Amino acid sequence: MAGNFWQSSHHQQWLLDKQDLIRERQHDLNILNEEEYQKIFIFFSSVIQTLGEQLKLRQQVIATATVYFKRFYARNSLKCIDPLLLAPTCLFLASKVEEFGVISNSRLITTCQTVVKNKFSYAYSQEFPYRTNHILECEFYLLENLDCCLIVYQPYRPLLQLIQDMGHEEQLLTLAWRIVNDSLRTDVCLLYPPYQIAIGSLQVACVVLQKDHKAWFAELNVDIEKIQEIARYIINLFELWKQYDEKKEIRELLTKMPKPKPAPQR
Amino acid sequence: MQKYEKLEKIGEGTYGTVFKAKNRETHEIVALKRVRLDDDDEGVPSSALREICLLKELKHKNIVRLYDVLHSDKKLTLVFEHCDQDLKKYFDSLNGDIDPDVVKSFMYQLLRGLAFCHSHNVLHRDLKPQNLLINKNGELKLADFGLARAFGIPVKCYSAEVVTLWYRPPDVLFGAKLYTTSIDMWSAGCIFAELANAGRPLFPGSDVDDQLRRIFKLLGTPTEDTWAGISALPDYKPFPLYQPNMSWSQVVPKLGNRGRDLLQRLLLCNPTQRMCSEEAMIHAYFSDLNSAIKNDRC
Repeated sequence: MAGNFWQSSHHQQWLLDKQDLIRERQHDLNILNEEEYQKIFIFFSSVIQTLGEQLKLRQQVIATATVYFKRFYARNSLKCIDPLLLAPTCLFLASKVEEFGVISNSRLITTCQTVVKNKFSYAYSQEFPYRTNHILECEFYLLENLDCCLIVYQPYRPLLQLIQDMGHEEQLLTLAWRIVNDSLRTDVCLLYPPYQIAIGSLQVACVVLQKDHKAWFAELNVDIEKIQEIARYIINLFELWKQYDEKKEIRELLTKMPKPKPAPQR
Repeated sequence: MQKYEKLEKIGEGTYGTVFKAKNRETHEIVALKRVRLDDDDEGVPSSALREICLLKELKHKNIVRLYDVLHSDKKLTLVFEHCDQDLKKYFDSLNGDIDPDVVKSFMYQLLRGLAFCHSHNVLHRDLKPQNLLINKNGELKLADFGLARAFGIPVKCYSAEVVTLWYRPPDVLFGAKLYTTSIDMWSAGCIFAELANAGRPLFPGSDVDDQLRRIFKLLGTPTEDTWAGISALPDYKPFPLYQPNMSWSQVVPKLGNRGRDLLQRLLLCNPTQRMCSEEAMIHAYFSDLNSAIKNDRC
């Protein structure tokens, strides 16, 4: 569905306003401060990324799943659904929508168990508690909360076009691509259209690599203020990462996080 | 589900039963498509998801509207705009005679719906009279997007066996894996001929070989000269070199010169030569189309 972003549900329904986002999160932000809230979402983005890589999904599918995840919690409190259940459900749904094919549920559950045990034992001491029926039930709930808007535009394609226009530079592309991936750990995918995120990521990449493309950026017909905002989100994330040790802090954050009641039946 | 009163069963879709129903408040008539969730492993079927997410993005007068998706315990119901009948049933009611203006109007609307899909990078892939809905006002709408897909993301290999045989182009019959909008244009051509003949299908093949034979007998067997790369297609096999043995005026006797010209430009074996929907809409055949239909943009 490329090329028609302006008429898409992504543009018309799912570019949110910063103030709305803050208001919707009020419940969770009474319990967690903004930084703690962000750290929890960084953690679950990593969970989605790691699960996706284990399942050998394309980055596009992983990115779509992450956006579903963020859209869900943009409208709901963390206590509505345990994010540890929503994360694999988002991958399950995204892989069908992106036509990657259906991930078999038993494989999904097994992968969740392995990944939680081997990669996230610093966060969870117990094994992954959910089963197929939970995922299927959750998929329904997710679909409804997304208002069935399932086609998500990603910054990857515009990024490739921009790099090409700039005169292809492999090093720059690699870094900018990674920064787009990193941007999924911020709110930008809820606030800005993907082509702006691509430009913002590219700009950060240029700064990091100390490449001067000012003239080229100046020629772009974009709202520079928005690009600066996006770059700011990304740089803030990098700053946060510098002084944050997830392995030490995440358990406490997950304990503090609002939770659904009652806990799922084993 | 309380919102709708079920009236009668309309048919079986790709992934579930379709009912006619009435909105209890507004009394509006809708079509309810119940999605079966019988496969425990797949969750919501991908074909239903595809239809939901594409129709959520495609809003056009010639594309059936998805009003709502209802979630109730373990059931998913898609609420569609209701149309009185599909083109197949319409044909059955004709008794072999159709008004040439109706042919023109339906064909134009089919092309306009397709042009919209194609401009949004969506292929329908399963066009056939059963998937074209007609309402009382003579409006035609594309439906059943269960096999449609967005082709924006380059994917090398598309699944085979998607189009009903009769409306399948030769490239797909020879196992071509990379579909483009041309797949829908061939189907549109077949439907155009069927419209002009008041419901007599153009190539009612019984299997892949018979289907190809029927096509080549009418159009002549393509060769590397007329279609470069044909022999490299995965399931290619040589056919006798048929020469066209029938004139177009025999094939579609009631269609005028211009209509026949348009038909021939759609029914080209070589997919790269087939006319696209935008071009087809400005073909001379439509120059005397009722302006009310032509200007009726969404």
